[in-house]
Amino acid sequence: MIAVLRRLGSTVLVLLGVSLIVFLLLQLVPGDPARAVLGAGATQESLAAVRAQLGLDKPLAVQFLDYLGGLLRGDFGRSLTVNQDVSQLLLPRLENTLVLTGAALLVCLVVGIPLGILAARHQYGLFDRISMFVALAGACVPVYWFGLVLVGVLGLSLDLLPTSGMYNSRNPGGFEDLLAHLVLPAFTAALVPLAVIARMSRSVFVDVLQQDYIRTLRASGLSEASILWRHGLRNALPPIVNIVGLQVGYLLGGVIFVEVVFGWPGLGQQLYTSITQRDLPVVQAGVLFVAVAFVLVNLLADAAVGVLDPRSRRAVRA
Amino acid sequence: MPKSEMRVGRRGVVTAGLAAMFVPTACGGGSGSGGGGEGGGGGSQTLVIGIESEADVLDPQVAGGWVTWRINRQIFEALVDEDLTTPSSEAAVPELTPGLAESWDVSEDGKVYTFHVRQGVTFHDGTALDAAAVEYNIRRMWDETSPQYNAKAAGQTNFIWTFVTDVQAPDPATVVVTMSQPFSPFLRMLAQGGNGSTAIMSPKALQEFGEDVADHPVGTGPFTFDERIRGERISLLRNDTYWGTKPALDGVVFRPIPDASARVAALRSGDVDMISVPSPDSVASLVSAGFQLSEGIPPHVWYLSFNMKDRYTGIKEVRQAINLAIDREGMAKNLLAGTVNPAYDVQAPANAAYVERTAEYSRNVARAKDLLAAAGLSGGFETTLTTSVDGSGQIVPAPMAEYIQQNLAEVGIKVKIETQEWISYLSTWAKGAQEGVGMMQISWGMTTPYWLYIVTSSTLQAPNGPNVGYYSNPELDAVMSSAIQATDEETANDLWRQANDIVTDDAALAPIVNDKAPYVLASYVKGFVSASEEWYDLRSVSLEDV
Repeated sequence: MIAVLRRLGSTVLVLLGVSLIVFLLLQLVPGDPARAVLGAGATQESLAAVRAQLGLDKPLAVQFLDYLGGLLRGDFGRSLTVNQDVSQLLLPRLENTLVLTGAALLVCLVVGIPLGILAARHQYGLFDRISMFVALAGACVPVYWFGLVLVGVLGLSLDLLPTSGMYNSRNPGGFEDLLAHLVLPAFTAALVPLAVIARMSRSVFVDVLQQDYIRTLRASGLSEASILWRHGLRNALPPIVNIVGLQVGYLLGGVIFVEVVFGWPGLGQQLYTSITQRDLPVVQAGVLFVAVAFVLVNLLADAAVGVLDPRSRRAVRA
Repeated sequence: MPKSEMRVGRRGVVTAGLAAMFVPTACGGGSGSGGGGEGGGGGSQTLVIGIESEADVLDPQVAGGWVTWRINRQIFEALVDEDLTTPSSEAAVPELTPGLAESWDVSEDGKVYTFHVRQGVTFHDGTALDAAAVEYNIRRMWDETSPQYNAKAAGQTNFIWTFVTDVQAPDPATVVVTMSQPFSPFLRMLAQGGNGSTAIMSPKALQEFGEDVADHPVGTGPFTFDERIRGERISLLRNDTYWGTKPALDGVVFRPIPDASARVAALRSGDVDMISVPSPDSVASLVSAGFQLSEGIPPHVWYLSFNMKDRYTGIKEVRQAINLAIDREGMAKNLLAGTVNPAYDVQAPANAAYVERTAEYSRNVARAKDLLAAAGLSGGFETTLTTSVDGSGQIVPAPMAEYIQQNLAEVGIKVKIETQEWISYLSTWAKGAQEGVGMMQISWGMTTPYWLYIVTSSTLQAPNGPNVGYYSNPELDAVMSSAIQATDEETANDLWRQANDIVTDDAALAPIVNDKAPYVLASYVKGFVSASEEWYDLRSVSLEDV
């Protein structure tokens, strides 16, 4: 219990630190939000008036404390450029990003783990060599490039799938429409984490399969499938879950590029736009959202490991 | 046509297959209808435009940037409009036309403008347009003491209201604007957009929605606002009660696709019907694949301002030599694949004070060297050129700056290039040229000659205005002041051309290229016109055989 509380406490500190760093970093970047709003022809007086309207004329410490105070009340502030509540602006975007991340994660799990297991099962066989070579190549491919190749081949040459956006623009449809738009970006986003998960699953499994108890199980005449999927998987799962947790973090960061290539209206694209416009409240909240998601996912992964592996629970208690 | 049907079919199969795989596990909820998503069938006249960035707010007085004005001007209208149905090739400068003012009178002394507000026009929320509504809007941009005053709107439009002393609505059909001195660019400025605009918004919406009015845009224009999903779409519908020629389209969807190759891919795949700013290298292949290219001559100049305080660029001969050393033709043809025109005049061709000239600054390396020698700099010198790496209307600034760097190396001038990301650069630029910086680049321009005043007037030297090279020429100031105060257009334009000659002779600026603002459209999009503006009219656009 104490360990859990300590963990939660450190999470709050991490988030506070993230907010402060982002706030300060954005102060260091040259460029004036008021200038971003008013453009090239603005006069000094009008710039000053807009700065005052946006609250940018207050001292930095006051601005940061105002922001923190708002945060405690669940108020993320107002966007400087689009004049909208930040949460109102970002929550739908976060939702879209989670849809994409979720789909990509599903691809990673459904393809990556079995691939690793089968490769381990046939260690140094042809399947192992080919699949691990492909995984290595996949882990090295720039996401941006891979996305464009998929667009070119599946979207344009073969004309099988839509290449951008989340829904059809003329006739926004329901689930089917979303699904069709999801395929290319989800596979693109999944590529690197999938490769990592497959390779790590393989090495974990290679270890597990060399354990004494596996030999014992084999000797006692259990079927290979039962050994692999029932006994092997159960023991290999905790490290795999840990890796998957980290890869989700990677996914959340990596989808930014995917969102740009596929015009996916997610958090990443919004963050990119807001950074270029010096829209401080939006950037701050966006980074905070990502940080919270990252911390939560890893918390969940740790909890899952605790459930899966009784040994780790004992370790925490001790 | 058959190809697009085939495309719909194949995609439909894939979509249905995916749905078959997933829908049973997705609790069977969601979409009931079985039809493929694409196309919508049934002759839907909705134009989908892939635009280059997310739009700013749908508050036309506050919004900055051409991207947003292209959307806002479909929803909102100003007192004075410009005719964008005539292509650049037929009208170098778009003609001013009555907008929400049916007509106007200007007093003999040029100080009082009386607008006769169009009767029978209603806002999209059903309220009537009258003189009081117009006054209410102007006070939002100009009158600090009014409750509706908005600092952003005022900041964007301050060049328009500089000399205004009073605004009155003596009767429901008349608005009277009084100024302290004649201001000849006034009418054209009323029709401008891009950095704010004077488009009229529904006072009822302004009062009802306050801060959030941009999420509820209510104007009088040919299209009404339907919905905005940020990052995804802004959709507009035809205004069936529009006072003028109603649009042929049922609606328009603007879809932000910031990545140029993603935009081109969306056009090729039929996800959108039209795109702005195609990557220069994609245009030829799109055209050969049957897409239409539409180009205009908008008021755009990609130019350098020289630092008058610099020990080198402060010398007239040096500035002239730099102008002569730059190979504008080569840049336009080779580097930019013909997507721009070389620029020799400081005003864009879409401007009444444009002077067609190539003689002064056609490339002449020998003469440039002579001029440098005359200035005692035959050994050359080092200087810095600042520019951005991206940004609105900037085309490809870094490679263009490198092109200039190579050109100037030929006459012995060693140029160091400093680049920044757009918004950072905008601030750097607006602060004015710092020590050691000889040239600062930006892209700008307007259809009103008054633009020259904004960038060269001695009263608007940085950081108090956009004259970032600190150019100060009393003779020029006097001519421009007379041009501003001229009460008839011809006199004003003559004076503006004189001002133009002075700036050219002084080589205070180095115009480099004029953008053609290319759009690429699917073959079935009809009636789109590229007029001499950075924005367009969609009333005449229709989709054939969809």
